Amino acid sequence: MASDVERGEEEEEEEESASELLRDRFRLCTISIAETEAKRNGMEISQPIMACISDLAFKYAKQLARDVELFAQHAGRKSINMEDVILSAHRNDHLSASLRSFSNNLKAKEPQSDRKRKKITKKEDKAAKEVLHIDS
Amino acid sequence: MEEKTFDPDLIRAIFKLVWEKRGAEREKNQLSENEAEVQFQLHLCAKVSLFRWTKYDEEKQANSCSLSNTANGNALKLSCELLRVFVAEAIQRAAAIAEAEGSLKIEATHLERILPQLLLDF
Repeated sequence: MASDVERGEEEEEEEESASELLRDRFRLCTISIAETEAKRNGMEISQPIMACISDLAFKYAKQLARDVELFAQHAGRKSINMEDVILSAHRNDHLSASLRSFSNNLKAKEPQSDRKRKKITKKEDKAAKEVLHIDS
Repeated sequence: MEEKTFDPDLIRAIFKLVWEKRGAEREKNQLSENEAEVQFQLHLCAKVSLFRWTKYDEEKQANSCSLSNTANGNALKLSCELLRVFVAEAIQRAAAIAEAEGSLKIEATHLERILPQLLLDF
């Protein structure tokens, strides 16, 4: 009984350290994205706020993982799809429209398509992003 | 101009961590659920309990077989985009509040004002 409890504790510690490692890597990515965005508006971000936003996004990513897993399971699949990710953004119409156009871009880029299609999809992407900013 | 976004491998690692944790929890729960179910069924008449037990067994098999463990490449890229938009929206909304106040740095007060609407939107 005692060994089971010990094993359980060891597993929990391993999970926590793995989670911490991922959180640190995530924070580095967030810092670069956030600084680019802030420069666009001519603002600076204080370090504690950066950590807050990164932890918030990390929790959101974990929530997204659960949602997307449930959607795929509901559809009877074992691997997640682009549709699952788009579904998880169903609460905001602009967001799901923007994600849908992004996914169409990705699909169009896969096979070696003509240049004309790429030009059109780039314009759609810009238009969708503008819509998102105006709404906020 | 290439935009900065999250690393798909990092996102895949996060997803796998969550899925493995959920899988382990589900196994633990199913073990205790089995015991509870068996005790409950013993109190009912034989025919009814047999029918219910087989139905429960089928459901359990259906659920455990379809646990996700892989992610489509495009789905990961889309998730990266979604998370990037989340961070970008948070920064832009907080920056708008900070600008309205006339300060050059985004502080905690700016962030906490946009937080409720941000969480509702996402």
